[in-house]
Amino acid sequence: MSNPSPVFAVVGHPNKGKSSIVATLSQNDAIAIALEPGTTRQQQRYPMTVDQQLLYTLVDTPGFQRPRRVLQWLEAHSVSASDRPETVRAFVREHEGDTRFVDECELLKPIIEGAGIIYVVDGSVPYSAEHEAEMTILRWTGRPSLALINSIGEDDYSDTWQAALGQFFQIVRKFDAVRAPFEQHLSLLKAFGQLEPTWEQPLQQAVEYLASQREHRQHQAATLIADALIDMMSRQETRTLAEHLPTGDQKALENSLRERWYQHQRQREQTLRSAIETLYQHQRIQRQEAELEWHSEHDLFSESSRRAWGVSKGYLATAGFGAGAVSGAGIDALTFGSSMGAGALLGGLAGAVGSYLYGDRLTLPTLRIGPLQNGLKTARFGPVQDPQFGYVVLGRAVNHWWHIAMRNHAGRELLELEPTDQHWLEGLDKSHRRSIQRTLDKCRKQRQPDQRQRQDLIIAIEQAMKVYEQWRLNHTAS
Amino acid sequence: MTDKPLRLLLAFDDRFQRDRDQPATFLHRRDRRFALDCQQQGRSPGIRAWLAHLDRLSGAGADRSQTPGSRYLQRWRALGAGFIAGGSLLGVAAMLGLLLYEGGQRINVTVFLAFVMLQLLLAVVTTVQAAAGWQPWHWLTRHWQTTEKSPVRTALQPPMAARAAQAGGLAFATSGLITLLIMVVIQDLAFGWSTTLDTASTSYHRLVSSIAAPWAWLWPAAVPSLELVEATRFFRAAPDAATTSPPQWGQWWPFLTMTWLTWTWLPRLALLLATHFFLQHRARRLLARHPGLTTLHYRMETPVIETGNQHSDADDLPDTRTRSELASLPVTPVCIAWAGAGRDGLPEELVPTSSRPLSVGGNARLEDDDAVLQATRQQLQQQSRPQVLLLTRSWQPPTGELSDFLEQARQHWPAGTRVTLVPLAADPGLPPADHLLQPWLRFAGRLSGFASVATVGSTREANHE
Repeated sequence: MSNPSPVFAVVGHPNKGKSSIVATLSQNDAIAIALEPGTTRQQQRYPMTVDQQLLYTLVDTPGFQRPRRVLQWLEAHSVSASDRPETVRAFVREHEGDTRFVDECELLKPIIEGAGIIYVVDGSVPYSAEHEAEMTILRWTGRPSLALINSIGEDDYSDTWQAALGQFFQIVRKFDAVRAPFEQHLSLLKAFGQLEPTWEQPLQQAVEYLASQREHRQHQAATLIADALIDMMSRQETRTLAEHLPTGDQKALENSLRERWYQHQRQREQTLRSAIETLYQHQRIQRQEAELEWHSEHDLFSESSRRAWGVSKGYLATAGFGAGAVSGAGIDALTFGSSMGAGALLGGLAGAVGSYLYGDRLTLPTLRIGPLQNGLKTARFGPVQDPQFGYVVLGRAVNHWWHIAMRNHAGRELLELEPTDQHWLEGLDKSHRRSIQRTLDKCRKQRQPDQRQRQDLIIAIEQAMKVYEQWRLNHTAS
Repeated sequence: MTDKPLRLLLAFDDRFQRDRDQPATFLHRRDRRFALDCQQQGRSPGIRAWLAHLDRLSGAGADRSQTPGSRYLQRWRALGAGFIAGGSLLGVAAMLGLLLYEGGQRINVTVFLAFVMLQLLLAVVTTVQAAAGWQPWHWLTRHWQTTEKSPVRTALQPPMAARAAQAGGLAFATSGLITLLIMVVIQDLAFGWSTTLDTASTSYHRLVSSIAAPWAWLWPAAVPSLELVEATRFFRAAPDAATTSPPQWGQWWPFLTMTWLTWTWLPRLALLLATHFFLQHRARRLLARHPGLTTLHYRMETPVIETGNQHSDADDLPDTRTRSELASLPVTPVCIAWAGAGRDGLPEELVPTSSRPLSVGGNARLEDDDAVLQATRQQLQQQSRPQVLLLTRSWQPPTGELSDFLEQARQHWPAGTRVTLVPLAADPGLPPADHLLQPWLRFAGRLSGFASVATVGSTREANHE
């Protein structure tokens, strides 16, 4: 018979971040977290399964309310150290349903049923001997235990905590539930596996699955961004007109089509954001970002957005040269090389010049009315011809992805999407720049990129995400 | 002829488009489960089985004909039927035109041959256009694209159009052939050959012999002899040669029938089959490269990881409205420290008014708490308005143990005793942070008038300012 999967009871004093730890490790942002004792009123299980095979379970519990009274009862009913676990069990059995010890029974129950102990303290407040009663009770259970020093406030008393906790627990780790990077989540899970030899394998398995899930999510996010980018760059609003329009009406038509075009672009960006948040299992994020209005400071279409997320003229020229050269190479292929590469050169130059022209400003589409056909005319607004718009969309999307991917599920603060002040995309290598530029060019000509181009774009965006991550790291470090 | 690969591609594409609005976690769970079931039953989790499985789960009664893919196929079928009907009518009309014989002039074999070559050329052009992906007939199907856009259906347009065109061409050739045979039977047709060019009969004979080469071994009578060629040349400006017997004018028909059959009907049939197989091949290739297929395989192959994020109690938060307000700090000699509060130093305000605080809670034993209750009781009995200061650590929220202690105190201490909770900050000279103070105010509010909350450190802070 195989060993039952490990269970970890997350216990501690009230308001020390037990639910935050569970929320982060179970990637659940719908767990009630509040700076109010008694927010968690009963134990709640969070199983981690792979194809419905249970690997481990986290149990969130209420905090200790009357540890001294419990300890007094235990001491009064114990004869020797060997009967302590049995005495704790007897306490729970005797006090089940007793309103005074509801919380203690709830938190001790999973432990006496065989759970490992994850004891959570707040390292941002001074150590207090008040905790010793609860730590003693936990020691009496005889279960493997690990102490976690969470950090709710800004001060740091973790050294004194570490020294005190070391006397009661097998392993002591620091873990900031809100800010710990993903690698630390995995390392913590590995530490859980160290508590008992039979737990090591399921926890190791869990870590591997979670790491590969994380990697896949990044790829999926790049796919979502690529699809949105293609959609937004090739967006066109059309309206069929029955007769010739006077100038005033033409202006009104342009305004109406422009408004529809803007609305679609904003909506598409919001859809992308929701999709990325769902991908990373963030269902309750409240975003704090500038209203997407034409004149607002950080609007998708604003000049400041271009400055923040657009790329430099040099970048555009080189990427444009690369993309143009690839198209021009087709001419060389048609002439079986007798054009001696002139096609590639000319195509490259045309691409570079075309892109360079857009380097300085964000040019939005204008109304175009087609020739009369069968008594009808078609008014068209879009697609946007300026590749900078694509880079603005890409920059904003990657920035949002980064915030979501880095955000722990214990976080309850508003998601602030502030713009950057540097051209982070400059760190992207030439071939990936070319892939992005080529797709942008194709979209603005209203030609659907084929499967291979779409794949290239996804790979390039994935690379851009890595560049952004690195840029953020350096940016934060400096 | 089967459309299986095409139907499979369209059904898969329909499913892919429908799934786009579903959460990725749901799709992963659904498809992984199907793959695991197949594994258990020793079946291969192919696309056909997967689609059938999903249809089965949705239950009977689903109208498959209303999916975009089915509608697309139906439209092309309708268009194909139109091409066939049009082609058949045109075939009859064209052949009647070619065989128009009012008794004066002969039916010119050269014109017939030129028309056959034109048909051959059109068949080849249709094929080349489909292979190159040109869509000169795009206007015909443009309105289909605006409502249901799919890259897969767009990529299928050229071979679909080519197949419809080749089917129309075959119908044209068939009806033309039938008309030719009927006309041969019911009419006395007189064929001859004529051209403005200065062509010798031998050259013309060489031309028709090479055209007839494919069937010369099979039906020698359908290859015109040099005598027939020499005898049936006519000039519009000159009367017919007297040496030509009337039946000779009709001897061209086997050649013309076989020419039509071999150079118009058979190429159309071959190209229709080729286009059909090309279409099925394109459908297989599009399916193999379909973006949805990669993700489907990924979903089937990778395990579903659930981290316990189904439970939600985020909306079940405790009532955090604070109804009580801060009280002023009373002057009283009775001061008790809960769980080590004030051990690191007392705020200035408390030093002159209180004696050394009595320790309860925290590390103290429950018996010590009882002893403090007894000792303070005597002190309080001597006061006219008994007041107690209870120092706490603001960052350790009120627990059941403190609540028990205060409940016990209410019973032990003289009636009318009031307790003032004083939550201290880690730095005793500063007032506690507001978010730490709120739980204390709510806690005091629940003690119905017995306790209130006051802070220290604000005066000192004010002095700083």
